Amino acid sequence: MNKKAQKYTPFRLITLTLAFLLILVTPFLNSHFRINFIQGWFQSLSIGHLWFVSPLEGLESILTSREIYGPLLVGMLIPVLLAITLGRVFCSWICPISFLSEVTDRVIKLFSRKKFRSSGLGITKKTLWFALMGEIVLALILGAPIFVFLSPPGLVGREIMMFTLFGTFALEGIIIIIVLLMHIFSKRLFCRNFCPLGGLLALLGIKRRLVVEPDLEACLECGICQKSCPLTLDPQKGESLSPYCWNCGSCIESCKASALKFSWKDI
Amino acid sequence: MSINEDSLPIKRRTLLKAVGFTTAAGALLRPFNALGLMRSPVTTNALRPPGAVSEKLFPSKCIRCGRCVEVCPYKCIKPLDIHQGIFAGTPVIHVVDVPCYLCMKCVEVCPTGTLIPIAQEETKMGLAVIDKHACKSWNEELALCRTCYNVCPFKDKAIKLDALRPVVMEKYCTGCGLCVHGCPVTQKNGKKAINVEPIYAFGTSRGMTENE
Repeated sequence: MNKKAQKYTPFRLITLTLAFLLILVTPFLNSHFRINFIQGWFQSLSIGHLWFVSPLEGLESILTSREIYGPLLVGMLIPVLLAITLGRVFCSWICPISFLSEVTDRVIKLFSRKKFRSSGLGITKKTLWFALMGEIVLALILGAPIFVFLSPPGLVGREIMMFTLFGTFALEGIIIIIVLLMHIFSKRLFCRNFCPLGGLLALLGIKRRLVVEPDLEACLECGICQKSCPLTLDPQKGESLSPYCWNCGSCIESCKASALKFSWKDI
Repeated sequence: MSINEDSLPIKRRTLLKAVGFTTAAGALLRPFNALGLMRSPVTTNALRPPGAVSEKLFPSKCIRCGRCVEVCPYKCIKPLDIHQGIFAGTPVIHVVDVPCYLCMKCVEVCPTGTLIPIAQEETKMGLAVIDKHACKSWNEELALCRTCYNVCPFKDKAIKLDALRPVVMEKYCTGCGLCVHGCPVTQKNGKKAINVEPIYAFGTSRGMTENE
């Protein structure tokens, strides 16, 4: 049976685009029409009285200031629960860096047909944990959360806001360009190896409910799934069950034998 | 003379290591200090938004989400950039350019408690100080400028007239900077004849006066 595989990429691209539109339009609504119903971006976002705070930023704020503020914890609750049940879905379905990377991919595709970039580079994926730890230790030494103003996902929002409100860009926006150049050089190099936020979400999602499960009986061991994986994981070896997987569904789509599927793990 | 290593409270090697690490950390942080990357951007007429925590806590507590910047209807709150080192992304009000109109929207949206919701009249962003050498009303017999008095949102409480010369009452001054913005005198160093000094920013209190 060669049933047509379930498509996830269109839905993912729509979600990414909507998420990007949200942070693109919000500063404009706030500054030009004084509509404050939706506010902020992915460092802290408010929709009416529903507030979200990015878990890493919140954690660093608590650690470096050694003070706990109730509303901050409440704001972190939904993103943390999302990461615990669904894993790093923020990275693949919402993050503006993901959106920009996908756009970059499609622009490159327009101009060249041949694949030129190295995928793996052989850097172990464990660097993600070191990025997270290094980031927190550095923040504690300096007494200021570093990632909060250098985090690419947050920077995208800040640069858009700066441009809408003041007509300029902040200098640190260069980091976004560097991250995208890294992506052009090697697929999702920053997301894969160096993003502390991704590290924290991966850590939270170690025991996540939603996983991509390989059906080893049906598997033809063709290796297409690994090629399609933006994180260069190998689902046929069970790497999709590892904390690194961000549940984007690319491998499921690529599998000719329909040997991969999303499954809801019982605990 | 030989010393028995075991009898020492800390082993020599441990001590040397600790000293080494501290020196290394200090050396690493020195360029940060030299470049002013760890120096607070809060100075005369450059203030934090209302309800801000002490400047010691500010850079660690603020997550630079920019929501106070975004919500400010007057665009008086501006985020700093990477030139300010660890203070990058934190909000600052330059009252000479655009003063704070005390709409109190920013304190409502802060998700981290860096800006604590407070009432308008409780705000203590700083204290307006009149430079009596520069102020025309204090110097020139005939000058009847009382712009600061006229623009003050707490007229006759925060700024009073004493024989037609303005006087700031510390208890009621919120440090909003409307007087600075209005002052027609600009000195050579860029200061006005009335300036807001962030005298509460480096204390332990939440920017409120002690006499409350």
